[in-house]
Amino acid sequence: MKLKKLTALLLSTVMTASLLIGCGGNASETGSEAAASSETSAEASAEAGDVSEKTEYAEDEIIDFTMFTAMPGAEINDGNEIQEIIAKKTGVRVKETWLTGQTDAEAIGTIIAGGEYPDFINGGDSMMPLYDAGALVAWDEYIEKYPNIKEMYSDAEWENFRQDDGHIYWANVFQNKYGEDKTTTHNDEAFWIQVRVLEWAGYPQIETLDDYFKVLEDYAAANPTMEDGTPNIPYTILCEDWRYFCIENAGQFLDGYPNDGSVIVDVDNMKVVDYNTTETTKRYFTKLNEEYQKGMIDPEFATQTYDEYIAKLSTGAVLGMCDQWWDFAYTVNDVFVQQGLDEKGCNYVPLGLTIDAGMDQMWHTYGDTLNASNGIAVTTSCEDVEAAFKFLNDCLDQEIHDLRFWGVEGVDYEVDENGLYYRTEEQRVKAADTEYQASHLCTYSYFPQWLGTSKDGINAMTPTEQPSEFQANMAEPLVNCFKAYGADTYVDMIGSVVKETGPWFPMYSYSNNMTTETPGGVAWTKMGEVKHEWLPKVVMASDFESTWSEYMSVYESINPQDFLAEMQTELERRASLGQ
Amino acid sequence: MARNTKTNAPAVKITWKEVKRQKFLLFWAAVFVIYGVIFYYLPLGGWIMAFQNYKPKDGFLHSKFVGFDKFIFLFQDDTFLKVLRNTLGMGILNLVSTFIMAIVFAILLNEVRSKIGKKAVQTISYLPHFLSWIIVTGILHDALSTSGIVNEVLMKLNIIDKEVNFFAHPGFFWPIVAFANCWKETGWNAIIYLAAITSIDPCLYEAASIDGAGRWAKIRYITLPGIKPTIMILLLMNVGNVLNAGFEVQYLLGNGLIKSVSDTIDIYVLTWGISQNDYSLGTAAGIFKSVVSIILIVIANYMAKRAGEERLF
Amino acid sequence: MKKKKSSIADKIFVACNTLFMIAFVVITLYPVLNTLAISFNDGIDAVRGGIYLVPRKFTLENYQTVLGKQNMMTGAYITLLRTIIGTVFALVSNALLAFIVSRKRFLFKSQLSLFWVITMYVNGGMIPVFLLYRNLHLTGTFWVYVVPGAVSAFNMLVLRTYMQGLPDSLEESAQLDGAGYWTVFSKIISPLCKPVYATVALFVAVYQWNSWFDAMLYNRMKSEYTTLQYELMKLLSSVMQQSGSAANAAAAGATASAVTPVSVRAAATIATMLPIICLYPFLQRYFVAGLTIGGVKE
Repeated sequence: MKLKKLTALLLSTVMTASLLIGCGGNASETGSEAAASSETSAEASAEAGDVSEKTEYAEDEIIDFTMFTAMPGAEINDGNEIQEIIAKKTGVRVKETWLTGQTDAEAIGTIIAGGEYPDFINGGDSMMPLYDAGALVAWDEYIEKYPNIKEMYSDAEWENFRQDDGHIYWANVFQNKYGEDKTTTHNDEAFWIQVRVLEWAGYPQIETLDDYFKVLEDYAAANPTMEDGTPNIPYTILCEDWRYFCIENAGQFLDGYPNDGSVIVDVDNMKVVDYNTTETTKRYFTKLNEEYQKGMIDPEFATQTYDEYIAKLSTGAVLGMCDQWWDFAYTVNDVFVQQGLDEKGCNYVPLGLTIDAGMDQMWHTYGDTLNASNGIAVTTSCEDVEAAFKFLNDCLDQEIHDLRFWGVEGVDYEVDENGLYYRTEEQRVKAADTEYQASHLCTYSYFPQWLGTSKDGINAMTPTEQPSEFQANMAEPLVNCFKAYGADTYVDMIGSVVKETGPWFPMYSYSNNMTTETPGGVAWTKMGEVKHEWLPKVVMASDFESTWSEYMSVYESINPQDFLAEMQTELERRASLGQ
Repeated sequence: MARNTKTNAPAVKITWKEVKRQKFLLFWAAVFVIYGVIFYYLPLGGWIMAFQNYKPKDGFLHSKFVGFDKFIFLFQDDTFLKVLRNTLGMGILNLVSTFIMAIVFAILLNEVRSKIGKKAVQTISYLPHFLSWIIVTGILHDALSTSGIVNEVLMKLNIIDKEVNFFAHPGFFWPIVAFANCWKETGWNAIIYLAAITSIDPCLYEAASIDGAGRWAKIRYITLPGIKPTIMILLLMNVGNVLNAGFEVQYLLGNGLIKSVSDTIDIYVLTWGISQNDYSLGTAAGIFKSVVSIILIVIANYMAKRAGEERLF
Repeated sequence: MKKKKSSIADKIFVACNTLFMIAFVVITLYPVLNTLAISFNDGIDAVRGGIYLVPRKFTLENYQTVLGKQNMMTGAYITLLRTIIGTVFALVSNALLAFIVSRKRFLFKSQLSLFWVITMYVNGGMIPVFLLYRNLHLTGTFWVYVVPGAVSAFNMLVLRTYMQGLPDSLEESAQLDGAGYWTVFSKIISPLCKPVYATVALFVAVYQWNSWFDAMLYNRMKSEYTTLQYELMKLLSSVMQQSGSAANAAAAGATASAVTPVSVRAAATIATMLPIICLYPFLQRYFVAGLTIGGVKE
């Protein structure tokens, strides 16, 4: 009796099990048809030459690669139209997956532990563990073999990517300009101000922090509210989580230094300087405190979340703030256009402020910012390394590059009689549509790419940098403002000096990778924690001097000198590489 | 099956006869033990990481041993002691408030006479469970902002004369977190108690009515004792959870100003361990939490046993 | 006299209770309605905030974005499958385990309970668990959704508590009739446990329905085993939260602006909430109405 029941139970378990296996089997068949084709095509591709030979790869010759990027990103659909075109032309199709709900370190940690890698990988800030684990393929011979790859960087720049075993394992794909610089936006940090404020004030020269707040104060006094009655907020500061750089690092810029991120590099003495304790930084916070007491600064600045900050900016009521362009502009400018606020002069323009008048400043750094601490790599799990590198090379082929960033001619953009690319209004709208992006556009955004001028010498590498595209999106008040200051672009507007940065730049690429294994890394994390807590307090303090000295004593107690010492060593190492 | 018989003697004597009689139970118990060992106990081998300077490339076998260094790092760090205090504080506050709210809600809902009303309220009550923390905290942040509804109401009632920025005062943070937890989970947590209430024999209520017992008396003498075992079990389980005060709520609601009261162990681990590739430190903190939890439930279980109450084991 | 007094007290009680319930409903319904309103609002417009119960700029686009995402159908299918199979599997195994440890005569009652209680508070960490599943060949299969979660101490204890509350005489009298443990479990105890089975089934089903982390971790490259929530998480993962590095965010922001509007987030939430909420009324009848325990009374 009992046995019978038991058998019945077992039987039913087995049945459920087989049902499951059945399902699983079916699903995996449908999913892996693409994978199956990859092996057969391996040899075919090895002989295949340059893209410009215009060979068309048949479906069974196309190799399917996988790519994992340790950054969040938008997935594109299978069968994406441009992806298919690129596959036909290059013989390679890449399935990209992105970071979801984990930190890059966690994701890379599990991938390493598992020992199975995607064919391509970008580990974000966790490239070193991948290298340590022996998961990456050395680039050296392929750099020599593939001209487009080699062309990405000068020999000196490639040196920066060399690891301690003497090989190169990855290359950063961003911030790399081909030919003439076409940069129109200032992607980095600045004190931003609405054009309506400048217009009202008669487009004055604003050089210092004091000038800046003076204009904001005057405008706010004369115009306490917007047209629709929303009270103007003269100045706000975002302090949420890692975005507290908006309050934190203005000190280095105000002193005229570029964005090394974690330290100032004193070029004359080749010494790292801690900008947190400089006189300029103290004056900057004194000013913020003063303005806070006057009610010029948003009282909720210290507790607002990023969403709230963006919502606030989107109403057009915030006259100015210190931030980096990418952190607000993409979202906020869309809202401005939709609400017609751009016509009312709510757009932000960057100001290159310094602490005293008459100083040079480097808020904008021209040329390339080379962050050698991360990039794209080919892994040891890749079965056709040759094809992988060939694909990296093909990515930089102008035809493929145009497909990635401009799209299909006649569909996504038009060409005028001078060979200049442009988009119609309809095409612009379509390019911004997420569904269209998923089904049609394929930028392979973490694969090698160029900024600057196209190899045809006429166009920009990407639409965002095409002057005609840039101007097409500007509202009247913004155009007037640029005209008044004699600027064509945001870059002209901020007016930084054109000065070559040293081979060590940017120092943050080193501090970003510090770990708690060294005393410097421990100090670095603690410095962040302390500043995150104290800087808002300092701004809100009723007695600035005593709060500042309290902050300084806490700051000193966590040994920032450990951090500085390690940065100094790295600076010297990098400086010697450059020679 | 014979190997099982070695363990010390429970109330029923271990005899061959008894073993034979219970062979069905013993067989399945063994299956479950094997399953448990594989899926829960085997991965604990990973705890070795806490005593190593774990590097993914070296794996568990070749990473360098550092002894108790990671634990020493934790306990010498003032910040860790602070986050430990915060975790305990918020953990206790959350558990007590969500626990009591769920029971009160379940009992009161049981007293709703209208069948439709009861079903409707219950269905609605557990909806917030399905909202992610990012949505719930977003709404909470809105409501408590200086221009939010809470300030507006308090101003209208003349309780305050100037808007309060609730998130700037360290004193408000723990209660806000506890409220958020209750808000999201009360209806959901009440489900267990509602199920337990159904096991109470309706005859008992009828008999009590005949004796003239009012609602309060019925709740006190019938409903509460009826669900007491469930309450005890959940209480005991929750005692072991005081160090799991959470991560997301504090992370999403906190800000620099009140960091000193809002950071929890989990946030600390993220800052120091995971985002720095220091797996060992995170594991050490995890072991610490496990040890504390187990000690707490063993004590609580012992006390429950002494008091003759329901217990975990 | 006495009777009347108590009925006044009862009336006050009912009034207060009704008020409490209304307040409770209002306060818990609000976030859901708010999410609903935002989900029907234009994405760019929603960034400005200030939407409460009615959408300001009505659109269905957010739902189109969510439902139009590729792999959503595969995700929905796998999610449904894992919810059904996972729930049945977990319910049977938890119930059987709870049955074993709730037997008064069982030889290792206390030890087996302790063995499982401990599992609630210890955790080997992500990497060791990953390695284990890989060595068991669970990664890259559907099984990884079902097998590891088959027994959970929490659910087992909830079931055990309920079973312990049932009269012992039920078991004894059945055994006198010659029934074995399996019969006692399946024919006598289980029918009486419907409310608690419904509770645990709900817990497991909701857990299965909402899972995505396992899909991401163990089936990252296997899009045929993706789950609904994982697809949505991919849609929602934005440049915001996770990455602590301004340098990376800058690079990403410059190329692909992947920030998902709040409105899509809201639509995704509502879209996944709905099906699992529909399950509730079916289970609810088991624990709203009181159930009389049949059979032998002590």
